[in-house]
Amino acid sequence: MTPAATALSIVALVVLGTIGFALYAVRRVEMDPQQYIVGGRSFGTLFLWILLAGEVYTSFTFLGAAGWAYGKGAPAFYILSYGTCGYILGYFFLPKVWRIGKERGLLTSPDFFLDRYGSRTLCVSVAVLQFFLVVPYVTLQLTGLQILLSMAGYGEYHAKIAVGVAFVLIALFVFTAGLRGTAWASVIKDALVLGAVVFAGIFIPMRFFGSPAAMIGKLLEVHPHWLTLSTGTKGLGMTWYVSTVLLTSIGYYMGPHSIAAAYSARDENTIRRNAIFLPIYQIVLLLVFFAGFAALLIVPGLHGSAVDQSFMLVVQRFYPPWVLGAIAGAGALAALVPASALLLGAASVLSKNVIGDLLGIATGDRARTFVTRLLVVVVAAMALYLWLVYKTTLVNLLLLYYNGVTQFMPGFVFALVWRRVGAWGVGAGIGAGMALAAYLAYHSIDLGGINPGFLALLVNVALCAIVTLLAPNRKPAGDAAGS
Amino acid sequence: MTRTRSIVRWVLALVPPFMLTAAIPFANRVEPRIAGLPFLLAWIVLWLILTPAFLGCIYRLEGRP
Repeated sequence: MTPAATALSIVALVVLGTIGFALYAVRRVEMDPQQYIVGGRSFGTLFLWILLAGEVYTSFTFLGAAGWAYGKGAPAFYILSYGTCGYILGYFFLPKVWRIGKERGLLTSPDFFLDRYGSRTLCVSVAVLQFFLVVPYVTLQLTGLQILLSMAGYGEYHAKIAVGVAFVLIALFVFTAGLRGTAWASVIKDALVLGAVVFAGIFIPMRFFGSPAAMIGKLLEVHPHWLTLSTGTKGLGMTWYVSTVLLTSIGYYMGPHSIAAAYSARDENTIRRNAIFLPIYQIVLLLVFFAGFAALLIVPGLHGSAVDQSFMLVVQRFYPPWVLGAIAGAGALAALVPASALLLGAASVLSKNVIGDLLGIATGDRARTFVTRLLVVVVAAMALYLWLVYKTTLVNLLLLYYNGVTQFMPGFVFALVWRRVGAWGVGAGIGAGMALAAYLAYHSIDLGGINPGFLALLVNVALCAIVTLLAPNRKPAGDAAGS
Repeated sequence: MTRTRSIVRWVLALVPPFMLTAAIPFANRVEPRIAGLPFLLAWIVLWLILTPAFLGCIYRLEGRP
C-alpha cells in the first residue's frame, strides 16, 4: 500500500467505526422531538461532560489553535482564557435556562425568547439569525476536514471528494442518531483527540528538543517576544486580548447547539458539576500550543492559512503513515462530531420556530422529528455549497459567528434578572448589535485594538436598557421567571 | 444562604475572570519561568487549574450535594 492509502484507510476506519459505534448505541431509542433534539433531558454528569467537550473542541481548536501558536504566538492564549471564563458564567447562567426549559417544555433557544418575551416576531428573528450564523461555522469544519484529508493523502488525491463523502456520511448519521448519537460519537472523539494531542504536544517536542520545556527555551531564543503580548493598541495587543476574552466568554454558550446541550441535562446540579470540571479539559489546549510551537521551530516559514497545517506537516514529514492516519482520523472526528451537533442545532431551530411556530406546519411529534431530520440534510447541503463557493472568506465568517451569537446574551440575561425588559428592547439591542458587529468586521475598522463584537455588545446592552426605560411598564410575560 | 456566604460566593466567582482579564497586563512577562513555561502562559494555566477549585467551593457554599 502507498503511504497515502495507508493513512487514508486509517482515517476512514476511525470515522466509520465511530459512526457505527454511535448508531449501535442508540439503536433502540425511540426518536420523538424531545429525544431527537435534546436527548430526552436525561444526560448525567459524565455524558453531558463528554457531549459539551465534544461540541466545544472542534477542528478549529485542533488545527486553528496550533496555527495561531505558530503564526501569532501569545495572542493564541486567549483561547485558554475565554473557555475558563465561559464555564464560570455557565455555572450561574445555564441552570436557570435549564429550569425554564424544563418547566415550559422548551426545545430550542428561540423557544426561550418566545416564552420569556411573548413575541413571535422576536422568536422567529432569533431563529433565522442563529441559522445564518451556524452555517458558516459548519463550513469552517469542512475546511478543517479538507486540510486533514489532503495531508493524510500526501497531496495525491482530490480532498474535495473525500470531504464531500465524509460530510454526506455525517449528515446521514445525524439524520438517524440525533443528539444522543452525537454524544456517543463524542466518547470516541474525545478519547482519540486526547491521544493525538498528547502525541503532538509532548512526544513531538521530546523527539526534537528533549522536552516541551527545552522546546520553549529554544523558541524564546529564536523569537524572544513570541510568548508575551504587545502593549500597544495596534493589532492583537493587550486591549484586543482582554476585550476578546470578555466577548467570547460571554458568547461561549450562545450557539443553538450549546443551549440544546444544556437542555439535555438530567437536572440543574448536573450542569453545575459540569461547569466545575470542564475547565480541566482546557489543559488539552496547552498541548495543542506546544504542538504549534514545535512546528514553528521544525518547519518554519508557513504563511497565511497554511499555518493551520503546522504540526500536521511535522507528522507528515517525520512519522510513518499510520501515525499520520491516526492523528488525521482524530482530527476528522473533531470536525465531524461538532458539525453534527451544529447541524442538529440549526435544523431544530428552523423546524420548531420557523416551520412549526410561524408557518404552522409539522407541529405533531412524528412530523416534527421528520422535518428536523430533513432539515439536517438541507443545512448540510447549504454548508457544503458555501464551502465550495466562498471558502476564502471563512475567517471573516467565523469572527461574524462569535460577534453575532454573543448579541443574544443580553436577551437571556435580562430575561432572568430584569423583568421589565420586553421584546422591543431585546429586539432593538440584538438588531443594533448584529448590524454594528457586521459593519465593523466587514470594513475591518480599527478601534484601538478593541474587539468590534465587544463594542457591539456594549451598544446592544445600552440600547436595550434605553428602550426598556422609555417603554411603558408592562406586565411580565410568564410566571416562571428566574425566581 | 446568609448574606456573608452570598458575598463570598460572588467574590469567588469573580476572582478567576479578573485574573484572566484585568490582571493580564501585570502577568505579561517571560520571567520568571515556571516549569519551563513563560510567566504569562504559566499564569493563565494556573487560573485554569484553580477555577474548578473556586467553582467547587461555590457549589459547597450553596449547600448542594
